[in-house]
Amino acid sequence: MSIDVVARDETPASGSQPPAKRHRVLAPPVTGQEIVLICVIAVLWVILGFATPAFVSAGSIQPLLGAVAPIALIGIGMTVVIITGGIDVSVGAAIAVCSVITAKLVLVQAGLSLPVAVLISVVVGGLLGLLNGVLIAYGRVHAIIITFGTANIFLWLSLKLFNSTTVNNIPDTLAPLGNGAAGRTLGVPNSFLITVVLVAIAWIYLRHTAGGRHFYAIGGDQLAAELAGVKVRQRVLTAYLLTGLLVGLASCIVVAQGSNLGQNVGSGKELAVIAAVVIGGTSITGGRGSVLGTVLGALLVQTVASGVTQLGWRSELSDLFVGVAIIIAVGADLIRERARRKR
Amino acid sequence: MSIPTAAAPDLTAQDDQSGPPTPERGESLPARVIRALLTQRIVLLAVLLVLVVVYFMVLGATGYLTAAYDFDYLSAALINAVPLAMLGFAELFVILSGRGGIDLSVGAIVSLAGMIFGFAYGRWGWPLWLAIVITALVGAVLGLVNGLLVAYIGFPALIATLATYYAYKSLAVVINNQRPISTKPIQNLYESTARSVELPLIGSWIPNVPKGIFLFLLPTLVVVWLLLARTTYGRRVYAIGTNDIAAQWSAIGVRATRAGAYALSGLISGLVAVVTVGQFASARPDAGVSGNGMALPAITIAVLGGVAITGGIGRVSGIVLATVLIVWMNAGIRLAFEGNAGPQYQLLALGLLLVFAALLNGFALRRYGGVG
Repeated sequence: MSIDVVARDETPASGSQPPAKRHRVLAPPVTGQEIVLICVIAVLWVILGFATPAFVSAGSIQPLLGAVAPIALIGIGMTVVIITGGIDVSVGAAIAVCSVITAKLVLVQAGLSLPVAVLISVVVGGLLGLLNGVLIAYGRVHAIIITFGTANIFLWLSLKLFNSTTVNNIPDTLAPLGNGAAGRTLGVPNSFLITVVLVAIAWIYLRHTAGGRHFYAIGGDQLAAELAGVKVRQRVLTAYLLTGLLVGLASCIVVAQGSNLGQNVGSGKELAVIAAVVIGGTSITGGRGSVLGTVLGALLVQTVASGVTQLGWRSELSDLFVGVAIIIAVGADLIRERARRKR
Repeated sequence: MSIPTAAAPDLTAQDDQSGPPTPERGESLPARVIRALLTQRIVLLAVLLVLVVVYFMVLGATGYLTAAYDFDYLSAALINAVPLAMLGFAELFVILSGRGGIDLSVGAIVSLAGMIFGFAYGRWGWPLWLAIVITALVGAVLGLVNGLLVAYIGFPALIATLATYYAYKSLAVVINNQRPISTKPIQNLYESTARSVELPLIGSWIPNVPKGIFLFLLPTLVVVWLLLARTTYGRRVYAIGTNDIAAQWSAIGVRATRAGAYALSGLISGLVAVVTVGQFASARPDAGVSGNGMALPAITIAVLGGVAITGGIGRVSGIVLATVLIVWMNAGIRLAFEGNAGPQYQLLALGLLLVFAALLNGFALRRYGGVG
């Protein structure tokens, strides 16, 4: 983990002197990885458009964007977590907790309104994230172990709440976040618009504010960041808290997209989110990455999944392509990294 | 991917060599007991194991449990320990090898290798030994793919095995059109792997033990232990996990050693595939990934067994004790709750144990400079 002692491009901005040409302080606004992703997605869309014209219709793209939204939303938080050098494998189980609380207690049993439902879900998600954050930042334990543990605990909680049945007949209170006509503005799913807005905010925050750069500093070299006055523990706590809050929001979208909720909701989502983040070029060892890449990664994964189904192939094949996409995306990044070091 | 800085353990380790807290002679008995509990993971696990068994036996004696929690039941429950402990060994190799070593793909390898076994033994009618050898080899090749990606190309282990997890999982489902293979020979396997038998000579005094323990778990255990504790290769795995630059300078083939650890992990997963097929009497395409999958429990076992996620520290005995603890705890929970509540509380107990073990590791690291 700390073998990699080569200085990274993205040391926190020192402020006063202008950056030298060869050693830019910030990564370019759109990194090489992201350009490649944009091209790959574009090529895939064109190919799929020719192969099955139905792919480029609104009826196909709208659900695609709707499916990208929750993954990309949680991906924002996961990107920040991974930039600090951590990881959160409990998000899948956290989705299950938030969505069953929202669907069963808030909507079906209490019949509350949309803002209240979203608020409750976000607060619940925040609490789960806070638990992870406190344990990781103050217990000083490896993030992957703690979140594997809390994943089990969250899963137990969700199954307890489900009480061995699916949640049926969920009222359409959350329709503005769903896949129906009420969930679109100018033809674009609201859930995706929300994602775009939040990604833009996160992108600017991470890139252009001191607070945002602190996350990169922690991931680059935690000890150095601490010595430079970064409040490492608070920052790390914030990263997991943020992920939890976004899980809460994403869960509302998940609930809104169906009229019933199965007990397996969220299962495997943690890996889907991590896949989107790493395909987007965020380094799993920390210190490097962007939320833009994460959205593109999520878009690529969903394009592949949707393409495979529409071509009439077995839907399970899409996992194979996701695996290959991860290898290619990260492999390309490794090769570029090596080239950078040689220079 | 750690929050505790990679530097922190080093610092404490240095303190330990220079500073006073070397094993003191003047330590009082309670202090020594606490030190042993915190730094010797097997001591802690043994104590927990006794507590769990005694607790459930008392519950059983007072009639709270739905069935008797006796030695026969405990012995029968051991069949669940076979895949769990073996995958724990698989993770042991990989995590020991260091540089963030972890293998998320073991469950997917179990699924895919299990399907291959189903084809070889159940469809093509190959002899059993040949089918098992082929299955283990397939597992080893699948693991080697991970090893090449991690050791030679430089992928972070988490990413490489996440990618192959997806790929293998998908192949396992597609290879037989999502259908399980449960022909006659496969169904008969249950008899020869999962059935409990009476041991010769001493069998009449102790409960019957599932066959899988002798046919798979014990041989694997012995080989893994010999490999890690008594061969050069084993010492190399510990060396690269502790400090791979130092290992490189001591002319250890770091890459080959690390790739080997992943291949071994795959090989063991291939054997687990055979056990799983026998246990279910069917080669299921989702055997290793359904529900929570097999990778999570395996990693949990390894961590609980005292394997340091940073590599270089971990023992076979820890894995064995951790497995038995989990299996007997789960067996007790199954009797204490009715219906679906049982499996649910198993999740809770597993999660709490893991968090507890991790926090304890962190504490022991700061207090005593390490866990053995």
